[in-house]
Amino acid sequence: MFRYILKRLLLMIPVILVTSLVIYFAMSLTGGDPAIYLAPENASDAQIQQIRVDLGLTESFPIRYLKYMAGMFRGNMGTSYVTKRDVFNTFMTRLPNTLQLAGASVLIATLIAIPLGIYTAIHQNTWKDTAGMIFALFGVSMPNFWLGLMLIILFSLKLGWLPSGGKTGLLSLVLPAMTVGLGLAALITRTTRSSMLDVIREDYIRTARAKGCSEKRVIRKHAMGNALIPIITVIGMQLSNVLTGSVLAETVFSWPGIGRLIFDSISKRDTPMVTGSIILCSVLMVAINLLVDVIYAFFDPRIKAQFMRKV
Amino acid sequence: MKRILSLILALVLLGSGFVFASGIPNHKAELVIGSAADINNLDPQGQSDQINNIVLKLTHQTLVFFTNEATFEPSLATSWEFRDDTHVVFHLVKNAKFSDGSPLTADDVKFTIDMAMKSYVANSLTGLISTSVIDPYTIEMKTTSYNNEFVQTFASVSFAILSKKAYASGMKQPYLVGSGPYKFDKWVQGEYVRVVKNPNYWGTNPGVSDAIVFKPIIEDSSRVIALQTGEIDVCINPPINELPFLQKDKNITVFERPGSRLFYFAFNVAKAPWNNQKLRQAVACAIDRKSVLEVAVSGKGTPQKTILNRGLWGFYDEMPGFNYDVARAKKLMAEAGYPNGGIRTSLLIANSSPYTGIAQVIQANLKAIGITVDIQTVDDATLKATSKSGTQELYLWRWNEDSMVDFVYRDLFYSGSGSNYHHYSDKKADALIDMVATEKDKAKRLQAGIDLQKYLVEACPQVPLYIANLVIAYNKNLKGEYLFGGGNHDWKNAYIAK
Repeated sequence: MFRYILKRLLLMIPVILVTSLVIYFAMSLTGGDPAIYLAPENASDAQIQQIRVDLGLTESFPIRYLKYMAGMFRGNMGTSYVTKRDVFNTFMTRLPNTLQLAGASVLIATLIAIPLGIYTAIHQNTWKDTAGMIFALFGVSMPNFWLGLMLIILFSLKLGWLPSGGKTGLLSLVLPAMTVGLGLAALITRTTRSSMLDVIREDYIRTARAKGCSEKRVIRKHAMGNALIPIITVIGMQLSNVLTGSVLAETVFSWPGIGRLIFDSISKRDTPMVTGSIILCSVLMVAINLLVDVIYAFFDPRIKAQFMRKV
Repeated sequence: MKRILSLILALVLLGSGFVFASGIPNHKAELVIGSAADINNLDPQGQSDQINNIVLKLTHQTLVFFTNEATFEPSLATSWEFRDDTHVVFHLVKNAKFSDGSPLTADDVKFTIDMAMKSYVANSLTGLISTSVIDPYTIEMKTTSYNNEFVQTFASVSFAILSKKAYASGMKQPYLVGSGPYKFDKWVQGEYVRVVKNPNYWGTNPGVSDAIVFKPIIEDSSRVIALQTGEIDVCINPPINELPFLQKDKNITVFERPGSRLFYFAFNVAKAPWNNQKLRQAVACAIDRKSVLEVAVSGKGTPQKTILNRGLWGFYDEMPGFNYDVARAKKLMAEAGYPNGGIRTSLLIANSSPYTGIAQVIQANLKAIGITVDIQTVDDATLKATSKSGTQELYLWRWNEDSMVDFVYRDLFYSGSGSNYHHYSDKKADALIDMVATEKDKAKRLQAGIDLQKYLVEACPQVPLYIANLVIAYNKNLKGEYLFGGGNHDWKNAYIAK
């Protein structure tokens, strides 16, 4: 197990190299000159050129990239062109906010989706199943920003129960987490349902029932464990997505997370901020995937046995 | 009964005395302003976004202060005089202090200006050669030549006076130390900036609100709702389509007045076929400004013909210009050598409101005279870089200036100027621009300004479309706001009355 984790951690190095190269290259391909963005409207050509020199933009792409990577491996992820702040520190100040939002969203999604998925699976082809699937369809189809605004109108404007945005305490987390969580819940419900349907048709489930196990015990003890692997996979994938892709929810709720940071930085051609943030996000995603793999082993003894054999 | 009434009266008088004893009206402790953009840099010389400027206006001060009527008045400099055409002397207030309690002297002014001359904002220091300290409260500036707007330059937040001592101390963000009525309390990037009253403030007008908080709420609808729920007291740039909801809310005031932000359609005159003046004039006649205004901002603005921002000194819009007249446009097309149209061109626009709507109206307008327009939507950074490089054909842009005319004439139209995205170059126009900048005779200068506007409208490197109104929504109890047509508001005396 340890060797496996170590191997996965070492795999991060090529991931970082490829990600940084792709992002750096993509940022250099996009139109728009950071020096022109930073310069005052009336800056002369000479001034703009001086800004380019100051930012190191006059050097060729390979030199710029190599210098950036050399700095990064020495622990320096650069300084934002726009804010003049350290990229790593800026990212780390936003990360807890994103982790809170992602954690709360996945928690809400899981609490809704797993019971609902199981319920619809064991009531397949009844009106209960149809109602559950309509909910899932609704959740998948609703745009995040629309749902967010509707929730704000209801809970902030009409009822006055919750703040409409910003990060002002635990209550301010509820609406963004519900917005992101409801979308995720829909997907996890569908996965749970189909995974459960596959499992409850297996021979060993029929055997358990024939041996007189109660339906609750059959589901909880025999079906759930085996159905969980695809569900955990989906939850892990969604967690990765939420960590980096909640831009819309973060914008609607003025939530100071990583998604908004990257989005704003791209529009300002802040290459160090974009590259640094995306590299750190990649590391985060690799870590989550690794965590998901370890959780597989925890839930499925067959996978655990494979790890043991590798060791 | 009389005793009771007397007692009540005494209590009321006592209460009101308590409220007004300090000269500060009863107010909500914190004023919360919801901004449409993120506060990303608070170094006066390293930033260029309006929202950063607005925050810095509370914490920092400049030598002179722009009023919202395009005039200027003393601030840290009590007076100034031109010793000759190239030497200006500023006399400073003698009791000014920074927020850390240290005195503000001519050394700080020299330090600030010297640093600015090496920074990104140096180009705005028109012709400045050097700065020298005469005594602790007198400073002299040497310039290459006389300029009518030289003193006004120092009203810009970019030249807010910074503390030499703070920079020498090695502190992390020395630029946060200013001499304004407020000082920085907390800046959580992406969340808010909070400024509180500066206990060392030296002036007679120390502000009212105990603290002012700027909260970026980028999403328009969310910002409007935050105002309605009372989470913010001021909503900057409320979306036009949400105004009817706000106007119905009895707790909210929607304020509107003529603004100074000019939206325009422009040509790259260095690129064929747009180097053809008659063709540009034909396009100008084909554009229906009223429809543009309606589609862009639901009519909340004023169409105009001249290239100068409304409200600036010497604004003149009485020239015949090019009104919407398709028959005249077709005639001009024929004179330009395109009797049957047949031009295909591209229009570069930013991917934000209101450009898409404007572009669609213009696309339809130009089709009527045989010009097919392909709209290319890009982000601001790309638009500026493309336009600066001169590869664009047509583009839509805006110019916001509410204080200095030279920032319009020279920046947009002078040969080789940094933001002359038209790539327009004309000796007569350059001479008139220089004359407006340097002519001391007021009447002659004014005439030069009018001649310049007439000349540029006729030359037609751009088609001015409309000046957008300033629209802002706020808590109905807001008092003391000082609003600028271009959006550079001053909130230092603003408060929510209780």
